Amino acid sequence: MRDILRILSGSRRFLVGFFMFGAVVLFAWIGPYLIDTDPFTRVGGLYSPPSKEAWLGTDNFGRDVLAQLMYGTRTSLWIGLVGGVVATLIGVTVGTVAGYRGGWIEEALMGLTNVLITIPSIVVLILLSIAVDSRSATVMGVIIGITAWPWTARAVRAQTSSLKTREHIDIARISGVGTLEIMLVEVLPYMLSYIGMAFVLQFSEGILSEATLSMLGLGPFQTVSLGVMLNWALLWEAVRVGAWWAFIPPTIFLAITSFSLMLMNAGMDEVFNPRLRQHQ
Amino acid sequence: MDALVSVRNLKAYYKTPDNQDVRAVDGVSLDILPGEALGIAGESGCGKSTLSYVLSLFVQKPLYIKEGEVFVEGRDMASFDEKTLQREVRGKVISVVPQGAMNSLNPTRKIRHMVIDVLREHYPEMSPREAVERGRERLEFLGLPPRVLDVYPHQLSGGMKQRVVTVISTLLNPKVLIVDEPTSALDVTSQKIVIKLLLDLLRKKIIQSIVFITHELPLLRHVADRIAIMYAGKIVELGTMQEIIFDPKHPYTQALIGSVLTPEPGMKDRKVTGIPGRPPDMKMPPAGCRFQERCPQRFGRCGEEPPRVNVGGREVLCWLLQNEPASELADASAR
Amino acid sequence: MPKLIDSAFARYLLQKILWYVLAFFVAVALNFFLPRLIPGNPVAVIVSQMAQQGVQSAALERLYATYMAEFGLDQPVHVQFIRYLSGVFRGDLGTSFMLYPSKVSDVIRSALPWTLALQIPAILVGWTLGNVLGAVAAYKRGVFDRTVFISALALSRVPYYCLAIILVYLLAVTWPVFPVAGGYSFGFYPEWSLEFILDALYHYTLPFLSLVMVAIGGAAVGMREMSIYELGTDYVNYAKRLGISDAKVVRYVFRNAMLPQVTGLALAFGTMVGGALVTENVFSYPGLGTLLFSAIRQNDYPMIQGITLMITVTVLIANFLVEIAYGFIDPRIRAAQVGEK
Repeated sequence: MRDILRILSGSRRFLVGFFMFGAVVLFAWIGPYLIDTDPFTRVGGLYSPPSKEAWLGTDNFGRDVLAQLMYGTRTSLWIGLVGGVVATLIGVTVGTVAGYRGGWIEEALMGLTNVLITIPSIVVLILLSIAVDSRSATVMGVIIGITAWPWTARAVRAQTSSLKTREHIDIARISGVGTLEIMLVEVLPYMLSYIGMAFVLQFSEGILSEATLSMLGLGPFQTVSLGVMLNWALLWEAVRVGAWWAFIPPTIFLAITSFSLMLMNAGMDEVFNPRLRQHQ
Repeated sequence: MDALVSVRNLKAYYKTPDNQDVRAVDGVSLDILPGEALGIAGESGCGKSTLSYVLSLFVQKPLYIKEGEVFVEGRDMASFDEKTLQREVRGKVISVVPQGAMNSLNPTRKIRHMVIDVLREHYPEMSPREAVERGRERLEFLGLPPRVLDVYPHQLSGGMKQRVVTVISTLLNPKVLIVDEPTSALDVTSQKIVIKLLLDLLRKKIIQSIVFITHELPLLRHVADRIAIMYAGKIVELGTMQEIIFDPKHPYTQALIGSVLTPEPGMKDRKVTGIPGRPPDMKMPPAGCRFQERCPQRFGRCGEEPPRVNVGGREVLCWLLQNEPASELADASAR
Repeated sequence: MPKLIDSAFARYLLQKILWYVLAFFVAVALNFFLPRLIPGNPVAVIVSQMAQQGVQSAALERLYATYMAEFGLDQPVHVQFIRYLSGVFRGDLGTSFMLYPSKVSDVIRSALPWTLALQIPAILVGWTLGNVLGAVAAYKRGVFDRTVFISALALSRVPYYCLAIILVYLLAVTWPVFPVAGGYSFGFYPEWSLEFILDALYHYTLPFLSLVMVAIGGAAVGMREMSIYELGTDYVNYAKRLGISDAKVVRYVFRNAMLPQVTGLALAFGTMVGGALVTENVFSYPGLGTLLFSAIRQNDYPMIQGITLMITVTVLIANFLVEIAYGFIDPRIRAAQVGEK
């Protein structure tokens, strides 16, 4: 583990992404303790510009945008994290089982995976979201996760299939080690870097999916997220009245968060995929 | 000097991203003589493929030549510019069948297009039709079906692909053909067919000399006139096939021969890696003999740079042979 | 000259058709079953909502009767599904709640052309420009490559609508060069007149640009990576070692690197559609995205279902066409696996 961190710290891309992302997490985590403002309480006039009292101004209901941004980033990160974990868990399970078992199990699982990849995920997201009547942030994360896993499954299957022919796995199989144990002990550890990359990607996708759904009006109930903030800005005409503080900050935070995760992914790719590195 | 290609005290290094040198080839002197089949053998990572890059005058970043000279028919390679090398030397004077010939053909173009490209690059006045005709004649001359011109690489079997690549590599009648691991990844029957084709090229005077690069010593027994054994960037023993295979002098050669004495198909690879220990890190090779850590006959002097000893015409890079009645070559080759 | 369509290609075609038919049925089934997970009787829920909005009770009863008949909620699920399927094949997607008594299919029919006219050209243009940029970056390396790579990565990671919001704010609110919203000016009616077309193009510019820019980013990142990969392959190395010039080798590389990008284009239609719908919404563009937004706000389930189905079908058709095109471009698909062994 320490080795992995040491290797990763050799990639400038990874480091820049890591620190950008760390800054966002700190902002969302510590921020709410530093300012004592509730994101749903009226603190000022309608769309008042940034001032000493409200550093990022207020929204259409006179609520503090900075507080919303902190809590909103927190919610978005949480949804992205849940989505990323769920997608990675399902994807890795389906991918390793399909890749390792082969045969009809592989065909069936990959058939399902590919059908789900072909159907636009936004459609399934919308249909699932309207079907769930209490949409908390966690539920939303789960919904995002169960529509996003096929990409991971496909990638993991390819990796597993190529790993399967390695000698140490043959030896384990001949020695009578059980299938589950082989998958957990002999296959998964060799894909950790790969799974890590897939997770980072899913995390980033999860944050974006939340924003898309929320902007369509399918966001989490009774909480604020970056997507919900943008949805409000759109609903209450913040753009047209020029209240930039209501929509520019969440836009920038969305972009920074997903871009920093993407940079981390690119950095990991650079480190774990020597062919690309050789050309740097 | 009648050597077709000769290298003198060649040091070819790779520059790593953190600016270190990997000393893949570290002080090699070697001649490729007209009419000979020269074998270069060693474990993977010993620098033999790197040497093939230099011998074929294809040195690209991160590989660079640190020291030494390469002569082609007596002319110093350093005096050629890149354009001349590309148009007049590569493929035409020195050609290669690279390692991994399986993937050496563009998967989305038919074989005929590669034939056309190779010929027309060096003879721009030739029409595509003539080029294909040349290719067809050559295939027939070597006993390959001309139909292969009209298919895509993935439609060919592994052995056929290897043979097609060999034919394409020799379309321009190069003087020297360098073949890197020509038989790995092939079954025994295909191996024999490929070897026969390579020797045919020599016999039919399409090429003048051939260099086999391989990690399988037994392969060389049937094809090579002379054999050079490489270890950790250096040639540790160079002699005739008879000398090397049946009377190896260098402990490494002996280990290599010992590890492959049973010519059991499929077991060869495992046995070569069966020499205990691993080759040294070529970023920081040990002082003195590079084989010392794995050598069963190691003794006090191995920490010093070993002499190049001439043992009845063959060269051996080892302290053990210092006392035998032979003249020292070390000074001569350094000059 | 080989036959353009031979048996291998026919097999590929048949396989793809079967595949897309299967995907279509899965999509229709999801479209049918997922909304039915909503607890309770959706018709009752909707009608009670309408009652709160002050709709007369006689009208409510008529509404209730209409939707109960349309959904067939009194019947077993498999009968409902068959009924739904046959409706889909007749092009009958039910009756809208929010625009009662308009048929969902009629409303969608008037919105769909706007969406297609916006998204398809934007994706194609962005994809083409991105590929060129990615290929050049991979070949040149150095500073140019780093700049292209980082900005393309950033662009591809910015959700469409974020870019759209910023563009609207800058180019329509702060410096009012372009209109803030809509597909055409107030007072116009869609028709084939020069005046209308110019007006529509004027409204088209910003949404188009915001979609194109993000599409460029995604395609450039992919093409760059593929080209770098291809530049390091054995066949490139071999060609160079035989003295084939760089200019020619580069042509091999880009052709081969393009092939996965074509598949990428098919996938792009599916992955980009969500963001593109929200972008429409930012501009109040009169397409499916804006329609979907209102339908969600007013719980117009038949409309939502109709739109999601329409999106799926459009994406599947686009995917299918791209894959067929791919079959023509990649010779490995046309050339059968028999030959010289």
